[in-house]
Amino acid sequence: MAAESPSSVRKVVVHLRATGDAPILKQAKFKILGSDKFAKVIDFLRRQLHRDTLFVYVNSAFSPNPDELVIDLYNNFGFDGKLVVNYACSMAWG
Amino acid sequence: MEAQKYVWDGAIPLQIHLHESQVTTLPPPPPALILAPRIGYLPLLASLLKPYFSSTLPPGVDTIWYIPTGVLFDLLCAEPERPWNLTVHFRGYPGTVLIPCEGEDSVKWSYINSLKEAAYIMNGNCKNVMNMSQSDQLELWHSVMNGNLETYQRVSSKLKLATVEDEHTSLCSSKSQQGFGETDLAGQVKTGRVPVRLYVWSVSEDFDDLEDMPKVDSWEKISYINRPVEIHKEDKCFTLHDALKILVPEFFSNDLMNVKSAGVDFEDALRIPSEDVSSDKVVEDHVQNAYEHREACSISSSAEIKLIRIQGIEPKLEIPFSWVVNNLMNPDYFLHICVCVKVPQQNST
Repeated sequence: MAAESPSSVRKVVVHLRATGDAPILKQAKFKILGSDKFAKVIDFLRRQLHRDTLFVYVNSAFSPNPDELVIDLYNNFGFDGKLVVNYACSMAWG
Repeated sequence: MEAQKYVWDGAIPLQIHLHESQVTTLPPPPPALILAPRIGYLPLLASLLKPYFSSTLPPGVDTIWYIPTGVLFDLLCAEPERPWNLTVHFRGYPGTVLIPCEGEDSVKWSYINSLKEAAYIMNGNCKNVMNMSQSDQLELWHSVMNGNLETYQRVSSKLKLATVEDEHTSLCSSKSQQGFGETDLAGQVKTGRVPVRLYVWSVSEDFDDLEDMPKVDSWEKISYINRPVEIHKEDKCFTLHDALKILVPEFFSNDLMNVKSAGVDFEDALRIPSEDVSSDKVVEDHVQNAYEHREACSISSSAEIKLIRIQGIEPKLEIPFSWVVNNLMNPDYFLHICVCVKVPQQNST
C-alpha cells in the first residue's frame, strides 16, 4: 500500500440513485471526503431535492446512522469503486 | 449464558435536571430519578419523563440519542458517577437536527437499520431481517425496549445470524444459532465478520486517575468508527487485543504514521459536483486498508490507549475476542467499544 502524501485527500465516489417516485438528479455521481459523515450525503440530498423527509439507504438495504463515516461505509459496503446510495420519498425498505 | 444476562440487566441510575431556561414553574421541579437500561436508548425514557416535567418532546434531537444508553454513559462519564446527572432541554435544543426524533418510532427505525447493517456485514445481505414478519419485528423491538432477554433470544434466533463460535461460553440455549467458521466438507475453514462500532476520543494530556481524565464535552470530539473484524476459526487465541490491532492499527503501529486530517473545508466537497469521476486515481480499492480519523492528529509511536470500555467494564485485553463478542454485544448484533487514546500534542513549527 502506497504511503499517502500529506497533501493527498482521500475521496469516495458516491452514486446516488432514485427509488420509487423520487426525482432523479441530473448529476448522480459525486465525490466526497472519506472523513465526512454520512449526514453530509443526507443533507446534500435534502437540499438538492428540496425535501425534508427523505429515506436514504445503502445498497437498497439499510439506512446507515448519519454519524457513520463515508470511508467506513465504502469499505464495508462499497463495490466497483463506489458507494451506492438510494434515496426515496417514502419508506422503500421497511 | 450468564454474562449476557448481566449485560441485559445492566442499568444506569439517572438524575434528570430540567435546564434552568426550560423552567416555567416556581419552585422549579426537583430532578427526576430513573433507571435506564444499558442496552436501551435515552429517547425511550421520554414517555416516562414527560408527565414528570409536563413538557413536550422537541421536534428534533441529535443523532447521539440513537446510541445505546450504556455506551453514552461509558463515553461521557469518565469516572462513572452514580447517579449520572443529565440536564434536559425540552424546548429549542441547540444543535444539529439531523433526524426528527418522534420518540419510540424513530428509535425503533434506527435499531432495525443497525440490525440490518450488522446482518449485511455478517452475511453479505440483510434479507433475513427484511423478511421478518411484522409481528416478529415488533416482538424483537419490544424485547429490547423492555429488556426481555428470553424473548429476544427466541425471536433473534429465527434470524439465523451467524454468531462467533466460542468454546468459552456454554451454548445451552442457542443450538439454533449458526456458528462462525464452520468447517465445510472440504475441511476448509470459513471466516466470519463481526460488526464493531468504535467510539474513540483523543486526549492530549496524560492522566493517571480516571477523575483527572479530560471529559468529553462535545460530541464532535468523538470519532465514530464502523469496522468489522474478521475472525478465523483456527485462531483459537484471537484476543481482544488482536481485534483492536486490526480495528485501530494506528494506535499500535510502531511506525510513524501521519493520519491525514480533513484540512479541506467540508463544504467544498459538496460544491465539486462536476469533477470527472472516471479519471480520478485517488480513490482506489486499497483505500480499504487506510483508516482516517476525523480530528487532525499526527500519531507517532507514542499514541497510547488509555482506556477501553465495553458494557461499562474495562476488559483485559487477553480475553478471547469470541467471548467478548458473544457476551458483550448489543441487541443490534454490534459490539460497541469505547476507546480513550492519548495522542502527543501536535508540534507547531
